[in-house]
Amino acid sequence: MKSVIDCRGVSRTYADDGVPVRALQGVDFQVAPGEFVSLAGPSGSGKTTLLNIIGALDKADEGLVFLDGVDLAPLSASELSDLRLHRIGFVFQSYNLIPVLSARENVEFIMQLQGVAPRERAERAHDVLARLGLADMADRRPGELSGGQQQRVAIARAIVTNPSVLLADEPSANLDSATTEELLNLLRRLNEDQGVTIVTATHDPLVMSYARRRVQLKDGAIVHDESV
Amino acid sequence: MASQTVRLPLSLLARLSVRNLIRNARRTVLLLASVAVAVASVLVTASLIRGFQDDLADAVVVNLTGHLQVQAPGYRDDPGIDHRFELEAGWQRALDGLPVAGWASRIRVPAVIMSERETRGMTLVGVDAQAETISFLASASYRGEPLVDVNDRRVIIGEALADSLKTDVGRRLVLMAQGPDGRSREAGFRIAGVYDADGTALEKNFVFTGRTRLHELLETDAITELSVRLDDSGQLPAANAALASVFQQQRVFTWQELEPQAAAMYAYADLGIFIWFAIMMAALIFGLINTLVTAVMERVRELGMLRAVGMRAAAVVSQVVIESAVVMCLGVVLGVLIASLLLNFWLVDGIDLSQWAQGAEMVGMRSHLQPKVMLSDTVFISVLSVVVGVVASLYPARQAVRRSPLEALRAD
Ligand SMILES: Nc1ncnc2c1ncn2[C@@H]1O[C@H](COP(=O)(O)OP(=O)(O)O)[C@@H](O)[C@H]1O
Ligand SMILES: [Mg+2]
Repeated sequence: MKSVIDCRGVSRTYADDGVPVRALQGVDFQVAPGEFVSLAGPSGSGKTTLLNIIGALDKADEGLVFLDGVDLAPLSASELSDLRLHRIGFVFQSYNLIPVLSARENVEFIMQLQGVAPRERAERAHDVLARLGLADMADRRPGELSGGQQQRVAIARAIVTNPSVLLADEPSANLDSATTEELLNLLRRLNEDQGVTIVTATHDPLVMSYARRRVQLKDGAIVHDESV
Repeated sequence: MASQTVRLPLSLLARLSVRNLIRNARRTVLLLASVAVAVASVLVTASLIRGFQDDLADAVVVNLTGHLQVQAPGYRDDPGIDHRFELEAGWQRALDGLPVAGWASRIRVPAVIMSERETRGMTLVGVDAQAETISFLASASYRGEPLVDVNDRRVIIGEALADSLKTDVGRRLVLMAQGPDGRSREAGFRIAGVYDADGTALEKNFVFTGRTRLHELLETDAITELSVRLDDSGQLPAANAALASVFQQQRVFTWQELEPQAAAMYAYADLGIFIWFAIMMAALIFGLINTLVTAVMERVRELGMLRAVGMRAAAVVSQVVIESAVVMCLGVVLGVLIASLLLNFWLVDGIDLSQWAQGAEMVGMRSHLQPKVMLSDTVFISVLSVVVGVVASLYPARQAVRRSPLEALRAD
């Protein structure tokens, strides 16, 4: 089957205070539709860098990156922006939501950017919030929600557009283990029941244990890749 | 892709802008207040200056000039009977449909007063007292009486002239003037009244008599000037064109051309409005830019997230610009409200300048200044304020997208 993500020989070097830091070196990495992949590895191993490159937020210095078969290299800033809008769902470690918008509005605005009609927007936002058990909290602002609830709203926003892939960088970083487990059950359900392709980056063993494929990074290179 | 990306999701941007303004209510109120005060002060200043300009124009127009004056070519450089003209029947039709307050035709010639004490030059004007409702002759105060009509055979003179000639109401004056044939004529006139024209140059030099009387003396039917006064000075260009089309052999002057000094002062007063506007806006801009930069800095990560998930940089820039425009629009509305409260209550009776009356009179003002609100000023100042707000927001807006989305997300 065709890959959602296809990285070939990807390298990324940061010039940190003049000293070049090789965050990724020659990474080959493919993800097929419907996979639930966890990028694992110690801090500084390049997980975030790889996720950012896959998510079209950062560019590889060397190598090729294809998303749904589209080569990212030649795309302009606004083309990349559109690509992120339509094909990728992001769940960030923190600061995911807009504080002045309600949960519903936080889910709706991304569809507003896409040009979805108001009625369809409202329906889809309502559906996804209900599915994630947030129906009662739709009108609350992020400040009135717990960390776990906020992260669920962020997932609602990320999947409401039916992206090709959901990218989550350290999604459990600010959550306790009970809440993390709820979140992981949710991700597993989305993956198994709705076929959402998920790639997470984490150093949390709990998160890794939920993924069906674990990719181990070390010093910017993939050292281990196993499916369970 | 199922749907088309919206480049500028305006309703979303407007919502974000307004919500952020509400979230920082204190800051927003402060900003609104300063915009409102600045706009109100410019509006009040503008209406005071408009009032002053009206006074200035009235004062000039009333001094025989009129809004428009028709003269024979050459009269301006050499005012005398050699440059005369006659009114053709039906010329008034040119002014049909225009807001004309009145018109008066006059014959104005240099003359010499001969008294026991001295012989001196002055200007003798033959007028139709009934047509002179358009000039100061109708409103001046008199000792004795004013002229009654076009056939009046008496003269009126100014207080200053009466003083220097040591003459008064009821006494006689001998005047000498040249007719069109070049011959000098001399006649005696009884002084009907002495007028007080508030220290203008007129008082010293102008003697008035009935126009028919002067025609008889000089043996002519011609006039040297036709003054037209309008009810609405805004129609001046139209009236000017209308007169010019009838009096093709003559010259038509506006009051600005006849009184260039007053006209210059009038124009400088316009400039005054702009200078005050510029000062107020300059003061405002610093606060505005400062506040917007702070607002952008506080939201670096939020804006980074928006761009990371696919909001275009242009939309993020627009959000900041819209925020500024919203504040400016609200501030302008408040400012207009404040200004109209001030003008309708505090300044409704105008300002009494009698303390400075002497100085004021010198520059053509009355001792009472009545503000005059002009819709065009209000609209112009309001629109320009919003434009200033938008321009001022460009730098902070630029700051909002200076970093890449990743850098912005990572910022602390
Ligand atoms: N913006 C950056 N500037 C300089 N160095 C960076 C930057 N981002 C990441 N790095 C470096 O790249 C390496 C990989 O980082 P990262 O991808 O964040 O690792 P991980 O997410 O696995 O902890 C680290 O050595 C890190 O210091
Ligand atoms: Mg990381």
